[in-house]
Amino acid sequence: MAGIWIFAESREQTLELISAGTSLARQLDGAAVVTFATSRQLAEEYISCGAGEVLVLPPLAGGQPLEAYVPAIIEAVRGGDPDIFLISATQRGREIAARVAAALDTGLCSGCTALKLDKEKKQLIMERMLYGGAAVQTVVCSGRPQMATIPPRTFEPAAPQEGRQGKVTELAGVQPSPVKVVGRAPKAAEAVDITEAKVVVCAGRGFEKKEDLNLAQELAQVTGGAVGCTRPVAEELRWLPEDLYIGISGKKVKPGLYIGLGVAGQIQHVTGMRDSKVVLAVNRDENAPIFDAADYGIVGDLYDVVPKLIKELRIALNK
Amino acid sequence: MLKIIACFKWVIDEQDIRVDQKSRELIMERVGYKISDYDRNAIEEAVRQQEAHGGSVVAVTVGPPGARQSLKDALSRGPERAWFISDPSFAALEPSQTAAILAEAIKTKGEFDLIICGEGSSDLYAQQVGPALAQRLGIPCATYVNKVTLEPGEKKLTAERKLDDGIETVSIQLPALITVLPDINTPRIPSLKQVLGAAKKPVEEIKKSDLGQDFQPRLETISILGATMERRRLKYSAEAADIKAVVDALLKEGVIA
Repeated sequence: MAGIWIFAESREQTLELISAGTSLARQLDGAAVVTFATSRQLAEEYISCGAGEVLVLPPLAGGQPLEAYVPAIIEAVRGGDPDIFLISATQRGREIAARVAAALDTGLCSGCTALKLDKEKKQLIMERMLYGGAAVQTVVCSGRPQMATIPPRTFEPAAPQEGRQGKVTELAGVQPSPVKVVGRAPKAAEAVDITEAKVVVCAGRGFEKKEDLNLAQELAQVTGGAVGCTRPVAEELRWLPEDLYIGISGKKVKPGLYIGLGVAGQIQHVTGMRDSKVVLAVNRDENAPIFDAADYGIVGDLYDVVPKLIKELRIALNK
Repeated sequence: MLKIIACFKWVIDEQDIRVDQKSRELIMERVGYKISDYDRNAIEEAVRQQEAHGGSVVAVTVGPPGARQSLKDALSRGPERAWFISDPSFAALEPSQTAAILAEAIKTKGEFDLIICGEGSSDLYAQQVGPALAQRLGIPCATYVNKVTLEPGEKKLTAERKLDDGIETVSIQLPALITVLPDINTPRIPSLKQVLGAAKKPVEEIKKSDLGQDFQPRLETISILGATMERRRLKYSAEAADIKAVVDALLKEGVIA
């Protein structure tokens, strides 16, 4: 069967990887794109969006985590012998990918942020971040299949095309996992999604107390943005929910404008905001590393600067 | 009695890495080393479980001979002994190698009830070694664990996994492996007495020849270059005129409206 295989936790992420997979397939002289799906209905959609074949996993019994599919995925991959296997880098996807790679004794590029194909060698050349985002590592996989986990939203989702045909294969039953789900507590919907905000105002350790975050809120209000924070503000001080911290292991934001207030600029944090279009930083310490990651740096106490900034913005924006 | 293995990695402190702006090469001359941040939580959790339920904790690391200096630090955090799986070729291992080496070493050492790893390492952050190790050992695992409750009498654990879409609580029979998140605990800061005591704790060395394999990499690094960012790096003062200049610039950029 060979080709390029895809597994993702959600429909949206599967479509993103189909988009990446079909582009690679074109360079591999029309190799097949084979996608896993959890229902027949999704299988039809994936075919219309570019998959040549869809492997439909049987429904999981109640109390089974998604990771229960691992043995079935391993078996299918052993049988199909793909050239490339792409998995969405969600938390569950990362575990599934690591276990599949270990079982097949192949290499896995985790959190692959860019990939291209060496057509001669039929080899994927993959990039990922290293040292908390300080460096970019370029890797190739010497095992088979060549595997990568790819963060959601790295590629545009594939769109449906008229009249596409493909094959749908139903996979056999899944053995129950020894990991039993005994409870699920869905997360309360976030009031604001900082990954979608056009302006992100980020609060760092420069804030002296929780109440002072009102300054960040006010600045966000004036600029039509949302408030995020650094990891210590969420995890050590617990001033803001953990959903709001920006960094390599937190949220990755790419707003038009990122404003860092009292943010030192640790590399792990910068990795979470490096794709922002314009960066403004306010920090007392003129040597703070955030200034190297900023377009506009204001050296000063945020308690002095932010009210002035708000005032000036209100005038400029007529608010 | 509960036997817990805490895995940790001795890594370059990324804060010490400098980047040559022209060549993008990493300047590693004056780098320090540390126990990978997330692994401190793994060691701490192992020791807390042992304090609650009894049994033993062994801290395990894989690395080149130079990683030996990590052992005292790890042992000062509470485990009563360590395994040092070492070979000169064990520098710059890729995750599948680390998992394979750990799996072989753990198999040769025999019994355990629980293995605890960090969510990822602070250098590679590939988040592979924990689940890959579980797969190689043929034991169940739970990743991204934020809270764990052991029931040694029943040989099982309950773990809360913190995932993007909420908390999933799972129950697993031991032996099992978990990877833990940083907010599962606050690692203790070793006292002077603990640091001095760590030097007396037993360290067992495991050589590559004891494991009878070559552990070839499956992922090969072509290059490592400093991450660059094109930023203007303009600096302003807190004076009103400067702040107005910044606001004007932002308006011109079209990022506020």
